[in-house]
Amino acid sequence: MCLLTLFITDIAKNHQVRKKYTIQLGENELVLKELDLLNEGANVYKLIGPVLVKQDLAEANANVSKRIEYISAELKRLDGTLQDLEEKQNSEKDAIFKLQQRIQSFQAGKAKA
Amino acid sequence: MEGAAAGGKGTVTPFASMFPVNEAQKAAKRVGEKIGEKQKELVCIKEFVTENTNLINLVSRLPDELNHDIMVPFGKAAFFPGRLIHTNEFMVLLGDGYYAERTAKQTVEILTRRGKALDSQVESLMANMKDLKAEASFFDVTASEAAEGLVEIREDYVEENSWEKHSKSGKTLAFYTNINFSFHDADEKNNDKKVAFEDDEYARIMSRLDELEKEELEAEDEEVDAEDDDESAVEQPDAADNDDESDMDEQTEAAESNSENHDNTQPKAKFNQFPHQIHPEIREPLQQTTAKALSNKYLPQQNITDTSNVLMQTPKSGFHSSKAFTGSIAESADTVSTNSGQQAVTSSQASVPAFDSSKGIIGSIVERADTIPKNSQQQAATSSQASKPAFDSSKAFTGSVVERTYNLPTSGQDAVSSQSSSSQPSKPVSRFKMRRS
Repeated sequence: MCLLTLFITDIAKNHQVRKKYTIQLGENELVLKELDLLNEGANVYKLIGPVLVKQDLAEANANVSKRIEYISAELKRLDGTLQDLEEKQNSEKDAIFKLQQRIQSFQAGKAKA
Repeated sequence: MEGAAAGGKGTVTPFASMFPVNEAQKAAKRVGEKIGEKQKELVCIKEFVTENTNLINLVSRLPDELNHDIMVPFGKAAFFPGRLIHTNEFMVLLGDGYYAERTAKQTVEILTRRGKALDSQVESLMANMKDLKAEASFFDVTASEAAEGLVEIREDYVEENSWEKHSKSGKTLAFYTNINFSFHDADEKNNDKKVAFEDDEYARIMSRLDELEKEELEAEDEEVDAEDDDESAVEQPDAADNDDESDMDEQTEAAESNSENHDNTQPKAKFNQFPHQIHPEIREPLQQTTAKALSNKYLPQQNITDTSNVLMQTPKSGFHSSKAFTGSIAESADTVSTNSGQQAVTSSQASVPAFDSSKGIIGSIVERADTIPKNSQQQAATSSQASKPAFDSSKAFTGSVVERTYNLPTSGQDAVSSQSSSSQPSKPVSRFKMRRS
């Protein structure tokens, strides 16, 4: 039972992380789109801590693409783990169900005897 | 319908066993919660949209002036007067910590793009909510239905076996469908007739009828002796089973009104073919399995099929001629069953005036008049019309006598046909209504 609750919390956490990553992915895609639309001479800054650091447009573009790649990979990984966790959860549930059935039958037998 | 249910082929499961009430309610509640969440999200996004439009307005307005006097926020609670300069230079946050220097115009472009993205999000959310709402309503309905104790009835539909199944499980149903088809068929033919009553066709029909008449007369001469025996065999059970037939006739009449409706929707001649093909197949099992009432009904039918090959007794000759009559008109019909034959006769009564006006086919009319009693006898049993008893009594004796008596007065037949035809349309309507209600 302890294992099952662990799985359930894991899955919930996984879902949350996934949600966060999907939002980030959407945001990054938006950024990439805007960066693509910028013309060559535009100044692009990156907020690092409290300061804006001037960046090359091409560099920013590459960075964002890289980031999108990373997030996508992360999402894929999360999907995999999620599936894995759900499988484990189901098997655990089955085990618990069987156990409960056995207990029930046992109790019924006891009551008869 | 009832017959199918009585047949016990299907399974009946109470709704509550499949979807427990509390489970359904729980599911409905969960979906409701989800809808609430989505609603909140939607409100949030709508807020963004309005903010965005406000921002667009502001940004497009700012470069109108070279500088703006504003109150600059200082810390949390303090403002000091200041002045906005460089009103056409914006640092736009693109997201994820990236900023770009843009002019007001470019900023507005970016903002509108963002607005579009938000709109699409709103749309998707709306669609999502719609789905969820449908789901919620389904769960609600299921819960209430389960609480009411609804049952689900499932029955496999097997096309090939349907006829046999009907004849076994519900005789009345089998008969009903049977009749339904034949009525339909007959009506179609009637339609065809009306349409196809051109002169050349008419002449052809007449010649064919004359031929048939001759054949029949010959057969009649041969078999006058055998008449009485056969007559009693066929007719008496017919009279005895009037009660049984009354049920069926109700259905036939209902079916007729049904098929009348159908006629408008399916005027294609193709549909005609099906009953003919089906009838010979089902005739056997029906005769074997069904009760006397049915077999009695089908007795004349059997005879008809016989007469198509060899001309038999005179009482049936009326049937035969009617069959041939309809057959010649339908042209395609090689095996017209009695049902369709009978019905065709009755339905042809509607168009009889056309025949009567031309006296050339008196013989054929006479023969049809012979069949009318048979029909009207059945219908008279149900409708219990005052004018019919005369027919019944005369019918009870011999077909040949009847035939002869009606040979002379053609106008009398008109009365008969008008009776039968007039009685039919008025009755079925009310019956049908009654059945409906």
